[in-house]
Amino acid sequence: MRALARDAWTVLRTEIRVRVRTVLGDQRKLLGTASSLAIFGLVVPWFFRENVVSFGEEAAAGTIPVGPLGAAIGALGFLGLSIGASTGFGQETAGNVGPLVRTSVTPIAVSLARLASEVARGLTIFLFPAFAVLTFLGTGYGGVALPALLAVGVLPVILAALLVGRIVGDAVRYLNLAVGVSLWVKAAVTLVVTLAFFVGTQALLFAETADASDDGESPLTAAASIPTLFPGEPLQAYAGVVTSPVGGSPRALGWVVGVVAVLAVPVALVVALRAETRLLFRKASGESGDESVSGTSGVPRPFTVGPAPRIAWRYLLRTRRDPRILSHLMIVLFMGLGSLGNVISEPGSIVYVGPPVAVIGGAVLSGTAYCMNPLGDDVDQLPLLLTSVDSTGVLLRGRALAGVALGLPLALGVGVPLVAVSQSLLLAAWLAVLAVVLVFAGAGVALGLGALVPKFEQYGYMSVERPHPSNYVIFGYLIGTAVVGGLGFLLVDQTASGTAGALVGVGWTVYLAAVGGAGLGGYVYAHRRFDDLSVDRF
Amino acid sequence: MSEPSTPREPDGSPALSARGLTKRYGSTTAIESVDLTVGTGVVFGFLGPNGAGKTTTMRILTGLIDPTAGEARVAGIPSDDRARLVDHIGLLPEEPPLYDELTGREQLQFAADLRDIHWDAVADRALGLCDALDLSEDLDRRIEGYSKGMRQKTAFVQAVQHDPDVVFLDEPTSGLDPRAAKTLRELIVDLAESETTVFLSTHILPVVEEIADEVGVLHEGRLVAEGSIEELVASAGADADDRTGDAQADDGVETGTVDDPDLEDAFLELTSRAETAWTADR
Repeated sequence: MRALARDAWTVLRTEIRVRVRTVLGDQRKLLGTASSLAIFGLVVPWFFRENVVSFGEEAAAGTIPVGPLGAAIGALGFLGLSIGASTGFGQETAGNVGPLVRTSVTPIAVSLARLASEVARGLTIFLFPAFAVLTFLGTGYGGVALPALLAVGVLPVILAALLVGRIVGDAVRYLNLAVGVSLWVKAAVTLVVTLAFFVGTQALLFAETADASDDGESPLTAAASIPTLFPGEPLQAYAGVVTSPVGGSPRALGWVVGVVAVLAVPVALVVALRAETRLLFRKASGESGDESVSGTSGVPRPFTVGPAPRIAWRYLLRTRRDPRILSHLMIVLFMGLGSLGNVISEPGSIVYVGPPVAVIGGAVLSGTAYCMNPLGDDVDQLPLLLTSVDSTGVLLRGRALAGVALGLPLALGVGVPLVAVSQSLLLAAWLAVLAVVLVFAGAGVALGLGALVPKFEQYGYMSVERPHPSNYVIFGYLIGTAVVGGLGFLLVDQTASGTAGALVGVGWTVYLAAVGGAGLGGYVYAHRRFDDLSVDRF
Repeated sequence: MSEPSTPREPDGSPALSARGLTKRYGSTTAIESVDLTVGTGVVFGFLGPNGAGKTTTMRILTGLIDPTAGEARVAGIPSDDRARLVDHIGLLPEEPPLYDELTGREQLQFAADLRDIHWDAVADRALGLCDALDLSEDLDRRIEGYSKGMRQKTAFVQAVQHDPDVVFLDEPTSGLDPRAAKTLRELIVDLAESETTVFLSTHILPVVEEIADEVGVLHEGRLVAEGSIEELVASAGADADDRTGDAQADDGVETGTVDDPDLEDAFLELTSRAETAWTADR
């Protein structure tokens, strides 16, 4: 047992040290971490400050509002579950311990260390906002008793949620490794499950809010009424137990919940440890795609017209064989799901929502697929690339064309026909112009952003270890494209309506100059930056 | 679409030259005042212990990094003029730069595309090299399924298929079985006979001894010796004899002499001599 603890501590210390050094040694990561902590630790709690303070005041007045408290505990549990599941699936680790566990350290020690490291990280995520929220609560309550009780009370719930979530993530990871199907099937299943989860949640929320509207209640109030959607009763009962020393009403159900939460921690710990120890030795089945399949693909006709299109084809070909190259697009999918909400609540709205989503989606795909980290995700091949091309421009154009090859069919093939059918051919023609401009300019802008914030270091995201582009940059690009695309739609609409001709003409001129200029500027910047790239840092 | 073979430098200038090449990273000096001259069609063995600065030197010569001081020319082109340099060089780095998702053939075609060379123009040469290296049957398999040796062979063909003036090879026989390693050595000699200069960095001294025309020994960032293998061996042997003589004079005991020293003896002697000199300097 002592040997296990010693080994686990050694691995844990190393993992933590590596992570801290990784953050401290990279100004960008340090800034990102500091910003995240500031946002989640200060800004978000500040947003709820008044509610929390008034909650404390109510409690001080002798009325413990167990409803919101139960909802808060439920939300924390859900957050813990999500963090646990994502880290269980992602398994971000400081290094490969394969040879180590076979020669010197027991596998269980490695699992224990990694689990402890992840739980510590998960708790850290809660620590800063919790400190701020509890401070506001103490201010309203006029003492530390209530904040202290809540801090102790939610701890087993959060811990249990983190560990149970971890088991769920482990299970999904195991399935992902064990099922020997092609990577495309796995990608499709992930996509369908994500969509189904989102659509299901939306449908549930819509049904609840619709019912509430029928009852004359405001939909907003109904959506915020957690107990109507979740099993709030046990959590409220547990809240009564936690706050019993300061006036809460403990009930038997609350004690049961508390005991279950406390017992769940060691049980989940043991299960997670066993699962992860098994996973340490699990070699992926089908992880390498269709390795057994052989056969060389020629470059198809449209891509044979020059070196950049031929390079573009190779990016598309590689993606066809290994869709994990586009794993960074999951964040785009998550963010894009929001636009589906309206369609679910009002299916007929697809003719209005569809075209902008398709055109903006095409521009987003064009930019984010291959241009958000140009050369960064080719870091292992840089010695070949930089000693083969007389200018990195050909590589950048190849990437841009590959992105356009994905984005343009979405923008033109979905958005334009929808408008042609539902509205007018004239509007569809103008929309086609806008789509082409946005898709090409989007690729250029994305190249510039990727050159501004290149990422050469590998890290795990969606269980794929590679130099992924910055999520912040993708997020910014997505928002920017939506805004610029929205302005474009306004122009298209005004143009097709035939009103304010001169003004629209000026608008188009400015718009095309700005969007085209941004796209070209992005490409030129990336070109200059990468032509001067030195591999010193690798 | 350009042609694969580029014109050799007609002015008789060396294929590769470096003067005062220095690279510093903060307070750490990777290489210091390295002077090199390598003629056309020469196999130049570049030797040195781990961390001596060989990779840094190769990176400067191939334009991947800029020197802190000094200058280098490869095929008459300044090494920092990457745009012009790429037409004249080929590089096989220590880690083969290949895409796992492509087949070997697609990788070679991609490498040709990067140089804007039509595959048909290099296919004969590339496929001939693949044949010689027993790689042809695996060319239509994805690289992710390749062994280390097959990756090495593919990366070698990729580095030389466009018939460069100067090819830089970092541990080219790494991971190869004895037969493949022998074939590769023969191919390197063939390259040199066709006027390609080969800059060969390796730890495997017998390989250098077998095929190199000239050798440079880098130690702690400094070029401590340069010349033919015979010159190096003779120089090191003479120095070792001197030291043996000194030792005899000092303690009056015969400590032995170096009989028929080879490149390994010379390498050890040169690097330990540099060590001694460095220690003495301090």
